[in-house]
Amino acid sequence: MISNSEKRIKTLELWAAKMRRNVVDICMQRGGYAGQGVALSDVGACIYFDEMRPDGSGWYHDRFVNSNGHDTIINFAAMAEMGIYTLEELRTMGADGSPIDQSPIEGARGFEITSGSLGTGVSQAAGIALGERKKGSDKRVICLLSDGELHEGSVWEAFMFAAHYKLSNFIVIIDNNDLGATGKTSDVMAVEPVRDKMEAFGFAARQINGNSIPEVLDAFEEARSTKDKPYAMIADTKIFAGIDVYQDAIPFAHFVGANGRWDTGHLEWEPGWQEILGKIEHLESELAAME
Amino acid sequence: MLLAKEDRQMVPSAFDDISYNLCKRRDDVLMMSADLAHYVDLYKVTKDLPDQYVEVGMAEQNLVGVAAGLAKAGFTPITSTFGSYASRRCFDQMVICMGTSKNTGICIGFTPGITSPAPIHHQGTEDLGMLRAVPHATVIDAMDVTDFAQALDVACDTPGLVYMRGHRGSTPSWLDAKSFKFELGKTYPLRTGSGVGVISCGHASQWAVEASDLLVGEGFDHSLLHVPTIKPVNEQEIIDYCFAHDQIVSIENHQISTGLGGLVSEITSKVGRAPRITRIGVPDSWAVGGSVGHVRQHLGLDAPTLARRIKEVMQ
Repeated sequence: MISNSEKRIKTLELWAAKMRRNVVDICMQRGGYAGQGVALSDVGACIYFDEMRPDGSGWYHDRFVNSNGHDTIINFAAMAEMGIYTLEELRTMGADGSPIDQSPIEGARGFEITSGSLGTGVSQAAGIALGERKKGSDKRVICLLSDGELHEGSVWEAFMFAAHYKLSNFIVIIDNNDLGATGKTSDVMAVEPVRDKMEAFGFAARQINGNSIPEVLDAFEEARSTKDKPYAMIADTKIFAGIDVYQDAIPFAHFVGANGRWDTGHLEWEPGWQEILGKIEHLESELAAME
Repeated sequence: MLLAKEDRQMVPSAFDDISYNLCKRRDDVLMMSADLAHYVDLYKVTKDLPDQYVEVGMAEQNLVGVAAGLAKAGFTPITSTFGSYASRRCFDQMVICMGTSKNTGICIGFTPGITSPAPIHHQGTEDLGMLRAVPHATVIDAMDVTDFAQALDVACDTPGLVYMRGHRGSTPSWLDAKSFKFELGKTYPLRTGSGVGVISCGHASQWAVEASDLLVGEGFDHSLLHVPTIKPVNEQEIIDYCFAHDQIVSIENHQISTGLGGLVSEITSKVGRAPRITRIGVPDSWAVGGSVGHVRQHLGLDAPTLARRIKEVMQ
């Protein structure tokens, strides 16, 4: 007997696999933040295809603010599946004259904010959450930021604010991948213990494996039932999680060039591309068998 | 004329009423502060309209970021703090969170320039230059309670980032409230004449009027142009004004680089052969602290010295 929950998780695994495929597809063209996008696809699939409630007109009732410009590749990867962007458009990312920005500007389809200046999104998301509550709306606001963004003082101002105003409609997801622009976050400027810090700042906080869809779903459920406090999901993710051959080739890369190069290594795109296509095929047949 | 002939009054705590009346008229407006509400005359809104007041604590980056978020939720946020903090401590948030948005986000910098008694750290004398370099931003430096209140109304319906300099405490009511109507970009002749054209904005327009009173008494031919909108200003009006005079003097409560004098120079240089422009303000230096009167005297911005400096350009 197949339970609903097994089917739900398998469905999300398929969405995540398709998002990974889209991330690789885009980054193969001119390079990109492939490691982060692949690693965040599980969280991203849960946000776009489970947690946010549809508004009935092709978008969402709830609001998602991606503070980290580098991670917005998962927004694109998800929206490609929703038909909001075509892969043909997205493949122009990084080309001169392309309408697709690596870190999008406010007003681009599906983006709430201009996200390229790190740390500025959390205050805005908290402001949106306060505004929605003032209007009497039940919209929930999800804000994704990276562990590196915790270096910016303004995010802590925003955390203090969210707790002070008891914004229980506000969830921050911290992509805890231990990766900054020039090295491991823990080497550049240590941020741990993140969970303790978030609790000390007045959040209900849980640290999870951000590459486990059941754990992400559990955290979202806990967030929904949290009263009088904002919620922090500290999602430990692993660069390139979900595509094994890339992890083996480059366990650590901030930006992978179109030629597969990063300053500490090199990967071949094709084997990973084949791996993810195989996973999608496998998941589709598993889901078909569940029907 | 736009200047009230008699009855030049001072209005105590002007912004208290301006903000309260605005919030009473518009429930989309939210007043915000970073732990300085009472220092910018925000009393009644905080006490009587708590739903239209958002306090963020002493955190200016968050002030502007949260404001931008509230704008994205359909509100019209007005942040208030000192001009030095509004410009220096959260410039990126103004540019990125508000400046790239179509939603209205208003930041008011109070005690701008040398109107703060505390030197350097509280005296933001470069904000107009910073803000007018932001694409599509609106930048307003009003001279008294009348154009300040009217400009704030207009700001509430202006898309994107609006940076305004504020007036706190006892604020002059010198413009004739019956005949003055603020329009974005418009320049306002306060006195007509020829010879020297004096262009000013904000608090410095008060100083220009004071100096002008002395010059009128001496029979010295000149005119006054008040320019409350630094961006987007009606460039043709500036050009027409400048070319109708032999000499131009700009007076501003700001560094003489990048502010109003810089703006006028840029505009006239597009045409060429403009009258000479003498820029008066804070001359690439740190102003001293103290009362406004003291600081003005120190910088040669008191009325008698200003009058003398205006006359000197004709020598």
